Amino acid sequence: MMAGRTFGFKLAASFGLTLALTLLMTATSVLALRYVMTTKDDVIKSATTSLVGAEELSRTMERRIGGYRAFLLNKQTEWLNATNADRALFLTQVNNLRSSLADDPTALKLLEAVSTDEATHNTVVSDLITKRQNMAVLNIDLLNDPRAKPARDALLAAIDALISRVHATVDKATTESNDRATAAIIFIIGLGLVLIVGSAAVAWRLSRDLRREVGAAVGHIQSSSAQLEAAAAQQANGGRDQASAMSEITTTISELLITSRQIADSAQRVSKVAEDTADAARTGDATIDQTRASITAIRTQVDQIVQHMLALGEKSQQIGGVVDLVSELAEQTNILAINATIEASGAGEWGRRFAVVAEEIRKLADRTAGSAKEIRTMIEDVRGAVNTTVMATEIGAKAVDAGSRQFDDATNSFRRIAQLVATTSDATREIELSTKQQTTAVEQVNAAASDTARASRETEASAVQTRQTAAHLGTLSGDLLDLVGSGRH
Amino acid sequence: MIAVEQRITELRTDFDRSFAAPMGSHDVEHVELLAVQAAGRPYALRLGQTAGLHPDRPVTPLPGPLPALLGLAGFAGTVVPIYDLAALLGHPIAERPRWLVLATGAPPLGLAFHELDGHVRVPAEAIIAEAAAEGRRGVLRGMVTLDGATRPIIDVPTARAAVHELAGHELETTEGAAS
Repeated sequence: MMAGRTFGFKLAASFGLTLALTLLMTATSVLALRYVMTTKDDVIKSATTSLVGAEELSRTMERRIGGYRAFLLNKQTEWLNATNADRALFLTQVNNLRSSLADDPTALKLLEAVSTDEATHNTVVSDLITKRQNMAVLNIDLLNDPRAKPARDALLAAIDALISRVHATVDKATTESNDRATAAIIFIIGLGLVLIVGSAAVAWRLSRDLRREVGAAVGHIQSSSAQLEAAAAQQANGGRDQASAMSEITTTISELLITSRQIADSAQRVSKVAEDTADAARTGDATIDQTRASITAIRTQVDQIVQHMLALGEKSQQIGGVVDLVSELAEQTNILAINATIEASGAGEWGRRFAVVAEEIRKLADRTAGSAKEIRTMIEDVRGAVNTTVMATEIGAKAVDAGSRQFDDATNSFRRIAQLVATTSDATREIELSTKQQTTAVEQVNAAASDTARASRETEASAVQTRQTAAHLGTLSGDLLDLVGSGRH
Repeated sequence: MIAVEQRITELRTDFDRSFAAPMGSHDVEHVELLAVQAAGRPYALRLGQTAGLHPDRPVTPLPGPLPALLGLAGFAGTVVPIYDLAALLGHPIAERPRWLVLATGAPPLGLAFHELDGHVRVPAEAIIAEAAAEGRRGVLRGMVTLDGATRPIIDVPTARAAVHELAGHELETTEGAAS
């Protein structure tokens, strides 16, 4: 039923059970005492109320008898009032007793007998009192009544009988009360024995559980502390290794720091070179502009040469036209000379002289035609040379154009190179900055590595301490097992 | 420039000498010839058998069965039939001839040829004479060597006779009387 419960719960349950039994015993004892007390109260009540009331009846009756005898002797009202008061008190006491003896019929019957005898006695006494009142001088003989003594004796006997009855009743109640008290004591003792047995059982069970569970737990603690000790030893070794590794890391990071600084210096130098290159590129840009202007001037000159050559060709063509005219004139002169020769051949001697002139004219015309032909040939040569020159010049112009385009390409390439150099300069500056930041970061890493190495040494120290603590814990758990009683495992 | 000045000097000297030369060089021992080309072949004409040389004269085409007859041309109010010399010599007609030469005698006749190489004056012994032949070959009578090349000499009266023969005439010519 208690399996799986915690030990504290079991302890609380055991103490609760013990407490409940104690409470039960206490309550039972209280009830028994209460019962015994009630019984004793009844005895005391019957003793104080009934017995004392019955005995007071006797004393009151004695005082009444004394009172009316005194009245009878001296006829004083004081005694009459006293005896009347005693009678009233007697009746009151009888009434009180009647209520207190309500549970005892025999006593009530005896009380009724007392009441009846008192009434009888009172009748006798009243007659005597009346006689004494009517008597001016005391005459004892007149007052001697034969009924008086039996009535008084009967009344006192009845009262004594009542007292005896009440005595007997009180004695009986006392005996009963004593019996009940004895029974209560026996019950309480029995209950106490049951409580002792229950508590012993609980204590045994608790002790057994404590031994078993705490023993097992302490055994676990012992093995765990052994494991903890081993782990702490391992951690100490690991911390030592880690410390040495961190030391190596710190050394490596220091070397890395040196290398990083060297890289930063190199990046700075590269940045300087890139800036120089950018300056040179700007200078080259100016040279390129000058060269471009020169190329443009060359192109203009070539165009002018072409124009002049074309004009020269045109002029030579015009000269050719004039030469054609001269040739035409020479041909016509030749024809005229031939015709003149033909005409002269039919004109006798004069015609013959004219034929000589015509012959000379024809010769001149032939020579003119020959010269014109030479000029024509020269002009053709000139035109051929002009054409060749124009073609060569146009080829040159095209070459200049091509060169200009190539120069444009080269210029674009150069400007692109200049831009790239500028970009490279920026990138190099970024590299320089990044490398400096990297150096700072490496320094921070170095500091962090040193901290980590120190932390590793501290970890090693704390691991050694943990191992010692674990060993101490194992010893303590052994002691605890001895305390619990399970013995060392 | 020196060569040109030298030529000018030579020309001037020749010109002046021509006035000093005796007239005897213009005699019967020399023959005046016209060097011509018809259909690309070189020929020669006796200048004495011609009445005139004209280039680029308009020739009005005349319909007819004779391919050698190029048409009619006007000279000083006279209408002259023009015959292609190359066609008369049996060469295929290549293109319109530029030059016209008028034959002496009557009726008037014009012969057309393509190129005029010049007017030359050769000694009479330079001409290799030959006998007259029948048919078209009779038109060529004799040869002359000019500038290293031999040219057949076209006999204009024979050519006129050949033209007449082509045209179907048997007329008496004045050729013989004129020469």
